[in-house]
Amino acid sequence: MILRTFSNLCAQSQACFRSARAKSTLSDVIDETGKSGLILKSLSTDIFENLALEDWIHDHVDLQNRNMLFLWSNAPAVVIGRHQNPWQECNLQVMRQKGIPLARRRSGGGTVFHDLGNVNFTFFTSKKNYDRHRNLQVVTSALKGLRPDMDVRATERFDILLNGQHKISGTAAKLGRTAAYHHCTLLCSADRALLSAVLKPTCQGIKSNATQSVPSPVKNLLDEDPTLDCDTIMDSVASQYNTEFGFSSPVTLVDPSDELSLPGIQRMACELLAWEWTFGRTPKFSICTTFELKNDTSICNATLNMDIKNGIIETCDIEVPSDWLPVELSREFSLHLIGGKLCPYQTSVIAAAFLRTIPQNKEFERKMYNLCRRVVFMM
Amino acid sequence: MLSHSRCVTRNVSRFIAVISQGNNVLARQAVSVVLDSAREGSDLLLSSAPGLSASRSVTVNNPAKCGARSSVFQIRYFRTSSACRNEVITVKTPAFAESVTEGDVRWEKAVGDSVKEDEVVCEIETDKTSVQVPSPAAGVIEELLVPDGEKVEGGQALFKLRKGAVAAQAAEAPAAVAAPPPPAAATPPASAVGPIPTTMPPVPPVPGAAISATPVSAIKPTDAPAAFADGRGIPARTEHRVKMNRMRLRIAQRLKEAQNTCAMLTTFNEVDMSNISEMRKAYKDTFLKKHNIKLGFMSAFVKASAYALMDQPSVNGVIDDTTKEVVYRDYVDISVAVATPKGLVVPVIRGVEGMNFADIEKTINELGEKARKNELAVEDMDGGTFTISNGGVFGSMFGTPIINPPQSAILGMHGIFDRPVAIGGKVEIRPMMYVALTYDHRLIDGREAVTFLRKIKAVVEDPRVLLLDL
Repeated sequence: MILRTFSNLCAQSQACFRSARAKSTLSDVIDETGKSGLILKSLSTDIFENLALEDWIHDHVDLQNRNMLFLWSNAPAVVIGRHQNPWQECNLQVMRQKGIPLARRRSGGGTVFHDLGNVNFTFFTSKKNYDRHRNLQVVTSALKGLRPDMDVRATERFDILLNGQHKISGTAAKLGRTAAYHHCTLLCSADRALLSAVLKPTCQGIKSNATQSVPSPVKNLLDEDPTLDCDTIMDSVASQYNTEFGFSSPVTLVDPSDELSLPGIQRMACELLAWEWTFGRTPKFSICTTFELKNDTSICNATLNMDIKNGIIETCDIEVPSDWLPVELSREFSLHLIGGKLCPYQTSVIAAAFLRTIPQNKEFERKMYNLCRRVVFMM
Repeated sequence: MLSHSRCVTRNVSRFIAVISQGNNVLARQAVSVVLDSAREGSDLLLSSAPGLSASRSVTVNNPAKCGARSSVFQIRYFRTSSACRNEVITVKTPAFAESVTEGDVRWEKAVGDSVKEDEVVCEIETDKTSVQVPSPAAGVIEELLVPDGEKVEGGQALFKLRKGAVAAQAAEAPAAVAAPPPPAAATPPASAVGPIPTTMPPVPPVPGAAISATPVSAIKPTDAPAAFADGRGIPARTEHRVKMNRMRLRIAQRLKEAQNTCAMLTTFNEVDMSNISEMRKAYKDTFLKKHNIKLGFMSAFVKASAYALMDQPSVNGVIDDTTKEVVYRDYVDISVAVATPKGLVVPVIRGVEGMNFADIEKTINELGEKARKNELAVEDMDGGTFTISNGGVFGSMFGTPIINPPQSAILGMHGIFDRPVAIGGKVEIRPMMYVALTYDHRLIDGREAVTFLRKIKAVVEDPRVLLLDL
């Protein structure tokens, strides 16, 4: 497999134009090559840049008579589907502690954990040629080509199972107006302990009609066969793609942060980073949970009821037994949270300011402080 | 022939009468009528009938093969402007790919939103695939026929669209629509606090007015006026009202209460920054190498304040109005007011009395980082026995800070400016900073306040005072 950088490809394409035009965008260059099949590999391991590149290709490249395969992997990140609820799908507290970012992709489906031991494949086609089974067959054939004895099968639900039991790949897709893309993951050597730690709900008691992930037992390909590695697997899938679709495309490297070749991509990556997209796009949901409040001397149970729309707290009711803390305090605090984001930072700021305004009483202060911390922890 | 033409004429007049009935519904139809009465066997189909309903179309089979024969009558295409004739259409769910039968609908737009042609109105999630449903024409969403998250099948009625000009209010607000989403929201995480740690770029001297931007900006100003509405450079003289959020109201109330109960007044002094600047210049590289952070001015003032607070315990104490007691504290937690794009936050450096300059710089640095990454927790911001506010970052020369309840005093630092001062009978130019101490006179009397401030001055002007415990 010949690896070429993007600039090489430009140089070798029929581009007499190239010298005339100082800057060509990626789609211009692709059109110039006149090829109907192209394989791209990302130079970046930033989840947002890579997702932005997918969107860019979907929006800007003419896919009517062309297919593309995009190979990418990322530093640890959790990726939720377009219509999912991050509080329900992953443990945001653990992710914050470990510095794992959250991204919401534009395709549907469930939540996945990415890290450098996970490889992603995106198949771009026109809407007519959209065929997920064929795409998955490329992956399974590639794996079988490397290890003929390996039992990898694609299921009806577009998962790939190893030995019929363990999920090694999940799928998601997006159908636009004229084009479509289908992407899937492939677990090669991901950190499974970290995966299980982050793919748990942030707090209990969430009621939502957001798309729910279906949890499955997972395994790494390298657990099964330690002689494999991510690069070999990527190369194998790339050749199999060429074989299956009859292309002869080399793997071209792409830098998703190159604004000159990919005009508008920085803005797309920023959109994906914004709180309004990642958290604000959560379908309406409610949290209804009880939790314990402890003091040096006593314990009590408090309840929390919140309705959240677009990530903003619309109603909030925190009930604490009146013998533990004056009702006005907990009520006031709940009222102060309304209209704010379901965000631990913003709530901490409000809580800190609120704590300064309550009349001085060491005991109440302590209790209120505990309450505030506990509420923030649920975000 | 004659009868034919008479018939034709009658039909045409009937047809014209129908049109002139001025039925809205008909008017949208494009109509073309070409009559060629001379043509034998010309096809002239008028499928109109009296009492037309909206869905009937009036078509005339245009005998294109008419050829060179001139037409007796020729009426051209006419189309009335769609802006005056609104029509509600029902948009159906598109057919699904790959033999999928149903999906969940997720609305992107709401009732009353105006959409352009081809703009995405909703997405349907089927089996891990997200399918966009664009609007077939420009118009306003009239009704959503399926609640969010519900299942729909291919071909099921999805929503109603009123075709036509965009809604009146939308047209008026081209600039308002562009009204930036709350500045808090729009900021990508990268651009949080300005210059951080060492110069801890805090506040205008009103630390109590916390959380300014955050919750306020969450309430979008829905009637944000267009600044130059008529595009001719004449500013529109409108006003818009934004409701004060609860937290702001509460803090305002608390501040005012504090002002009413405390006997607040301010004492000033000036500090010669030359020695501390020199110390900084001499040691900044070594400091950076050893501690990996920059040496700033803040640590000097924080340490000086802690020292002075231990010396004047009443400045570190506070009056408990409910029990009528004075609470003296033997630890020093200094709140440093920090201005972030999202509003004011006041992280606390705890136990300063036991820290040296390096420790203080490290803590300031950590807190600055956390503030920048929006990771400050409640425990980072709770409490504090004394506050330092730095107006100098914004260029303030002189000013009276306001006490941050429930504390008794606040130190305001201002800008460092070169000023001519009298040293040993001569005029010299020195970098000078005015400092202000606002204090509660119920607890702290004048002598204590002035001594306190002088101590801070002494330490910052000559850090050796700390070493010698003078």
